[in-house]
Amino acid sequence: MKLWKIFYYEVAYQLRRVSTWFYFALLLGLSFLMARQVFVNEALVGGYYLNAPFAAAQVTLVACVMGLLALAAFAGGAAARDVETRMHPLLYTTPVGKGAYLGGRFLAAVALGALLLSAIPAGLLAAALLPGEHADLLGPTRLASYLSAYFLLALPNAVIAVAFMFSAAVFGRRGVVSYLGGIFFLFAAVVSWQLVAVHQGNWALAKLTDPLGLTVLAELSDVWTAREKNTLLVGLQPAMLVNRLVWLSVALGLLAFTYFRFRLAHLAERSRRAVRQGGPSELPPETAIVRSAPIASAPVRQAFGPGSRAVQVFTIAKESFHLIVTGWGGLGVAALAAFVFLTGPLWFSEYYDVPELPTTGLWANILENSANHGMWLVIPLLIVYYVGELVWREREAGLGGIAGAAPVPVWVSFAGKFTGLTLGLVAAQALLVATAMLVQVRLGYYHFELGLYAQVLLGLRLVDYLLFTVLAFALHVVVDQKYVAHLLSTLAYVVTTFGPQFGIEPGLLVYGSDLGWSYSDIRGFEPFVGPWLLFKAYWAAWALLLAVVARLFWPRGPERALRPRLRVARRRLTRRTAATTAVAGALLLTIGGLLVRNLPAPGASPAPADEEGWRAEYERKYGRYVGAPQPLTTATRLRVELYPQRRAVEVRGTCFLVNQARSPIDSIQVATTPGVETRALAFNLPARPAVIDNELGHRIYVLAKPLLPGDSLQLSFEVAFAPQGFSRHELAASVVPNGTYVDGGWLPSLGYQRSREFRDARQRQLHGLAPRPEVTPLDDPIALQHVSGQEQVLVETIVGTDDGQTAVAPGTLRKTWATAGRRYFHYATDAPIKNSYAFFSAAYAVRQAKWHDTEIQVLHHPGHTLNVERMVRAAQYALGYLTRQFGPYLHRQLRFVEVAGDRKTLFAYPTNITFEEGFARLNADQDPRGVDLPSATVAHEVAHHWWGHQLAPAQVGGAALLTESLAWYSALEVVEATQGREQLLRLLDMMRDDFLSPRARAAEPLLQATDRVQYYRKGPLAMYALREYTGQEPVHAALRRLLAKHGSGTPPLPTPLDLYRELRATTPDSLHYLLHDLFAANTFWELETKETTAQKTTAGNWQVTLDVQARKLVIDAKGAETDAPMNDWVEIGVFAPAKKEGQLTHLLYLQKHRIHSGKQLITVTVPGEPARAGIDPNHLLFDWEMDNNTAAVKAKN
Amino acid sequence: MNLTISNVSKTYPNGVRALQGISLTVPAGLYGLLGPNGAGKSTLMRILATLQEPDEGSIQLAGLDVLGQKEKVRETLGYLPQEFGVYPKAKAEDLLDYFAVLKGITQRAARREVVEALLRQTNLWDVRRQQLGGFSGGMKQRFGVAVALLGNPKLLIVDEPTAGLDPAERVRFLNLLSELGENSVVILSTHIVEDVAELCTNMAIINQGQILLEAEPLRAIERIRGKVWRSVVEKSALPALAQVHAIISTRLLGGRTVVRVYGEAAPGAGFEAVPPDLEDVYFTTMAGHYHPTSAQEGGAATS
Repeated sequence: MKLWKIFYYEVAYQLRRVSTWFYFALLLGLSFLMARQVFVNEALVGGYYLNAPFAAAQVTLVACVMGLLALAAFAGGAAARDVETRMHPLLYTTPVGKGAYLGGRFLAAVALGALLLSAIPAGLLAAALLPGEHADLLGPTRLASYLSAYFLLALPNAVIAVAFMFSAAVFGRRGVVSYLGGIFFLFAAVVSWQLVAVHQGNWALAKLTDPLGLTVLAELSDVWTAREKNTLLVGLQPAMLVNRLVWLSVALGLLAFTYFRFRLAHLAERSRRAVRQGGPSELPPETAIVRSAPIASAPVRQAFGPGSRAVQVFTIAKESFHLIVTGWGGLGVAALAAFVFLTGPLWFSEYYDVPELPTTGLWANILENSANHGMWLVIPLLIVYYVGELVWREREAGLGGIAGAAPVPVWVSFAGKFTGLTLGLVAAQALLVATAMLVQVRLGYYHFELGLYAQVLLGLRLVDYLLFTVLAFALHVVVDQKYVAHLLSTLAYVVTTFGPQFGIEPGLLVYGSDLGWSYSDIRGFEPFVGPWLLFKAYWAAWALLLAVVARLFWPRGPERALRPRLRVARRRLTRRTAATTAVAGALLLTIGGLLVRNLPAPGASPAPADEEGWRAEYERKYGRYVGAPQPLTTATRLRVELYPQRRAVEVRGTCFLVNQARSPIDSIQVATTPGVETRALAFNLPARPAVIDNELGHRIYVLAKPLLPGDSLQLSFEVAFAPQGFSRHELAASVVPNGTYVDGGWLPSLGYQRSREFRDARQRQLHGLAPRPEVTPLDDPIALQHVSGQEQVLVETIVGTDDGQTAVAPGTLRKTWATAGRRYFHYATDAPIKNSYAFFSAAYAVRQAKWHDTEIQVLHHPGHTLNVERMVRAAQYALGYLTRQFGPYLHRQLRFVEVAGDRKTLFAYPTNITFEEGFARLNADQDPRGVDLPSATVAHEVAHHWWGHQLAPAQVGGAALLTESLAWYSALEVVEATQGREQLLRLLDMMRDDFLSPRARAAEPLLQATDRVQYYRKGPLAMYALREYTGQEPVHAALRRLLAKHGSGTPPLPTPLDLYRELRATTPDSLHYLLHDLFAANTFWELETKETTAQKTTAGNWQVTLDVQARKLVIDAKGAETDAPMNDWVEIGVFAPAKKEGQLTHLLYLQKHRIHSGKQLITVTVPGEPARAGIDPNHLLFDWEMDNNTAAVKAKN
Repeated sequence: MNLTISNVSKTYPNGVRALQGISLTVPAGLYGLLGPNGAGKSTLMRILATLQEPDEGSIQLAGLDVLGQKEKVRETLGYLPQEFGVYPKAKAEDLLDYFAVLKGITQRAARREVVEALLRQTNLWDVRRQQLGGFSGGMKQRFGVAVALLGNPKLLIVDEPTAGLDPAERVRFLNLLSELGENSVVILSTHIVEDVAELCTNMAIINQGQILLEAEPLRAIERIRGKVWRSVVEKSALPALAQVHAIISTRLLGGRTVVRVYGEAAPGAGFEAVPPDLEDVYFTTMAGHYHPTSAQEGGAATS
């Protein structure tokens, strides 16, 4: 009964507070917005309904994260209000048991949390039921999806979170400690999800350790098909239920602990030290009032000049800094540093666990707290927390009156506290730098770049923190409600940081935002510095205004009502304040104006690829010209002027075109790039422009006389590009003072560009385009004939750049010279190349080498030497093997050109292969597994000169099978031939782990695959499996035939069906089923060895009996599973005991057996004592459970 | 140096009219503001301490506009609130030093001297390195006094300062105040009549946001000399007595009731004349028997 009374009183108390309903309304609005706006794209791309159960679960869990802050207010209040208000002596002396007291309060907090979180389903329902623009993307309304999201996701989260926060606040004796409990909670969830699961790949563990269930959701997001997302309930998934059970038990344990440790007793307000000293020594009061000195003996000099103000600011700063460092802030940052130190090495093996050099540039990028690494939220949350603490510091200590009456202007208090927090942030960042360097030392890397650390962590990032700090101060001061201000500040941070993911783009209306920046050793911070500085200056002006607001409303005295506060603010609005405001306003308008002028104006701007409207417009307007016969380029002559310093490019060029169609061509379609100035476009035959559409990048010229088959034509053009203002054009970022990398794709090209069309069905629908298959069918007649862009051309280039840089273009370097402070390079191809090239310019160091007559060059950033020799060697290996197998390398040089970027992938232009800095950092020698991934990747890129450059497929579904899959398969062959089988097996293991890690099983067959994992991983594995079944020669014969037939680049272009046909021709009939299973269907096998027994025969051999189970199933693109009857050849292997620990070597037996579906016994005889045996031990067939393929052999008596 | 309060009113958002047209003139010296709990004393004190804004009225301190020139006023202000806390983990000396800086004593050497002097005067010197969290109520109160005295305030506002002090501490503290009052305005709000009686040269009685009496304590006592009568009666006789006489106070004494009444003339048998004290002034004023009109003190006060 007492429990009920306590519960009821607490609930009623909170319900009477405005903040409670404010939280509710906020959460309602957030849920609504998330369902309506934020997650729409995800649903669109994922192809599920906006109100699918999955979407409901997603919004619910994310909203729960937001709700944590409000829950903290409830839990903190329920747990510690009595102590904080010093009411506890009254309450603790009543005959209420601690069970009733704690229980009532805890349940009240939970009940309030439950009420609060009911805003989420309400918001979701409103989003689904109220009319809106995406009504066509809504599925049927299912009550179950909301109920399950609320009762299985939101409510358990509330109980668990409140349990943690409540206990924290009970022990911390302060309500706000619950907020720190919330931070911990979020941290645990984010670390589980992003670090343990995504980064380390340990999903099983992360799904348990994530208290919010985000990890489970993240996995389902990858694994579930659209249909599953539309029908299944996230809350009922076993992983989610287990997670809930685990955390509810933890919460229960914690509550029990709290119960037993809690005492309804007076809490001595003394520190441990005071206790040790035996408490305060109460001195006996003097009985005689005798004073030796009169009051204030010395005449005290008070000073209130500027010097004095500085001392006061410093004193307050010191006090605030001390509070932060000795409190939770110090602890939090120290924990973060320890976390960085412990997990540091993990950050440097991101790419398939290949170790990476821990360079300062990379480290600084990781530590700089980008939105990608959610765990860095700790520092912003601590900022929010401490701004609240500092603003409330005197008042909460009961010193508000005394401090308020002190002759300290408000701005001194503000400046002092701000400075103190700034010092705290500097200390935190410095600690992170020191930790980062410790990690570098730990990894044996000693090239510290302190300046770079300082620029990133104490420059760029600190500025953002400080801007945010000012905002948080203003919010806390104006709102004057601690928890509400906490929530609002956090929301503000989330919006600015994660805004782009919700469709809130950085701009003049998103406080603190900028257009982003990144660092690379090659290009430094260019070209982002200028815009960044301007944006921050703009926000600094805003921050000044916020500071003025904070000054006007800074709390002093007990007044909290609006009217008196306004009156005080009016009094504080002195002339100087008004002048400051005016200056800030003027700055704001000036810089804002500059920004507006420099920002790409909508419409007039070069349209970035993801800005959608114009692509639809392009298709509508010019789609009818698709497939119209156009002349093909046979040669291109270019004069490229690169001006890295002033960031401009000018190109003059001539294309030699020939009508290779069977009919005359009367008009020429030229695609230009929007945002790039294309001028002086002309033909050497009379032609009249019929359409010139610079906005959509399309022109049509009508020839005076049609171009007859076989006739030729010259197209000359001039193109200039100089980024105006903060252009978001992708080119803008690639023309920089050092490390310019300009793709030729923005030069004029011929014909309607089908690649600009939308593929995704929902997007097409949204933009009012006619539906069509997402994947271009293999027999699409237009695609088969569409050669433009892939035709074989001769390219001759004169490229000029700033003195001191090396410029690169395709082909042989004929000549180089310097003139007028510029350096020129004359390149020409010796044999036609696929019509795809780029130009590069940087201060490169060059490593020269040879393979027979072919020149091998690695142009790299000076200092990035780790992989240079490896690349040379790998290129030599690859050229050696591939020319033997598939015919000559057609060019006289092979270059590797380093470009800015962190990615580990390479891109093969004909003769010029780019690699990013991330690849240059890969440190394969340190790989504990001994995998040499960089060499294999180089072999893969070299192989593209056959698969992709010579064999250029039609742009249909599955096309990448002919390029990426074959190039990777070839790379595997190169590795096996030159680095040994051991190395091959390690690579295969790596690929298989990647392919068979948790992901959606539904997929198109390889022949139509458009998913990267399919053609990068499954493709090569399928080719390898086939080779293991048929032997190498039939496979290679098929590949050589394919190349011979289609290497010329004339239409019809090859498709995966051509490969399939050739493979079928060389594969024995008995294995045609396998070819089909591997390529023409999305087939999986479930192979398991239940038990194996062995018996020694009288002849001294061993008879091994395997009890195996087999199943074959086909999963279609929509996720429907069908069992396929099985009568397949599958390897059966028997292994002798390992000679050394940890080795599974010494094969006793390996033969293919006919295996049918279901259980079966297989008996084989081997010459030695077996240790392990099993089915498909080499994992040639795709099986999700690889571990159960083999089993230990049991001896039978 | 004197403080003039004219027509100050303050109404809280919940409708409580804490001050209703208060006007007072406070000369240098110790000034007592006497009134029951909830009379509006603390609100007035906070307004004087620049922490709150009245709805109307004006306040002048020796030519300074207290409401408009808060910053200037604070430079010569000492304030000891009725209730205050401390940073529990701070040490007495450090926190006092901190406040000394805030009070503009920014020179290190001077500050050290001042802090030491104040810690010695408030008898906290021996515990200066101890954390404030471990201080008793009295020690904390003395610490507050030390803070209030920083920088020789010309205007010292002490709100119910003696509540938590033991008798000896109280005496010492009041002596300290009266010494300060020699050249400053010291306003002491209290509901303890002795505090005022013993020390204050001037006083005002406030109730329900209004000044009932503004007077010099001794003169006020003089005014009612010969008008206070005392009798010892049975408890049961009290109601009847109350009907006839203006009762000032009653006190139980050994099972019987000592009753004091106010009357221009002797109330009758059983009553004896007694010398009045300030408590009598207070209670008669509160009860409405004693009107400023009948005890003019220069006509400053109105009701």
